[in-house]
Amino acid sequence: MRVVQTRTLQARPIVAGALRLTPESRVVAVRLPFGGLVWQRPTAVVVEQPGVATRRLPIIDLTRRAQLGVLLGTVVLTVVCLIVASHPQESYAVHA
Amino acid sequence: MPDIEPSEQQSLHFVDKLFGAAQASAVFSAPVTTGAYTVITASEVQAGGGFGSGHGFGPASNDATDDAAPASGGGGGSGGGGGSSGRPVAVIVVGPDGVAVKPIFDLTKFGLAALTTWAAMAATLVRMRRAPR
Repeated sequence: MRVVQTRTLQARPIVAGALRLTPESRVVAVRLPFGGLVWQRPTAVVVEQPGVATRRLPIIDLTRRAQLGVLLGTVVLTVVCLIVASHPQESYAVHA
Repeated sequence: MPDIEPSEQQSLHFVDKLFGAAQASAVFSAPVTTGAYTVITASEVQAGGGFGSGHGFGPASNDATDDAAPASGGGGGSGGGGGSSGRPVAVIVVGPDGVAVKPIFDLTKFGLAALTTWAAMAATLVRMRRAPR
């Protein structure tokens, strides 16, 4: 029994007019002896249309990307501030 | 699995049911059609749970003069909990112009995460400045 499992799922296709949409999602499952968790997120929708090449439209999680951006930006800014603060400031002597 | 305790068997059964519920239809809503437009909501879903149990044995009473007390005793207990949450990620719109995936921006979730991150970093910086060199 694997502790962490990932798999891609396809939902039942949805027909809207001449279009046939197949939603896809990604599942991450963690199995532990006394519990577990499942995290499922949408990844893409496959669009099929007669006479047109099949397209795969990715689903972007804008909120998650913004959160990661803020986290990364704050960490980088903090590291830069720490590096700048750790260097001793030069003293300028006034020569008359 | 004869060497697995009943509580652990319950846990495995629970986790199997949890994984069985992980279907693509749980993430994508049923299509809603209004006029020439069809809308499907795509959501992120999280679910988890756990069990725990414990038992112990020991002397029932330290009072040697109490003859009525049993020589030893024991007890045990078990419990569990779980939860699930979901958040809309995007809306798939099918219209006369074709298919469009429109992302949903959760400003409250983003704002809370940003404030928490900045507060944690500020607290770390202040603590580092106050630390003796």
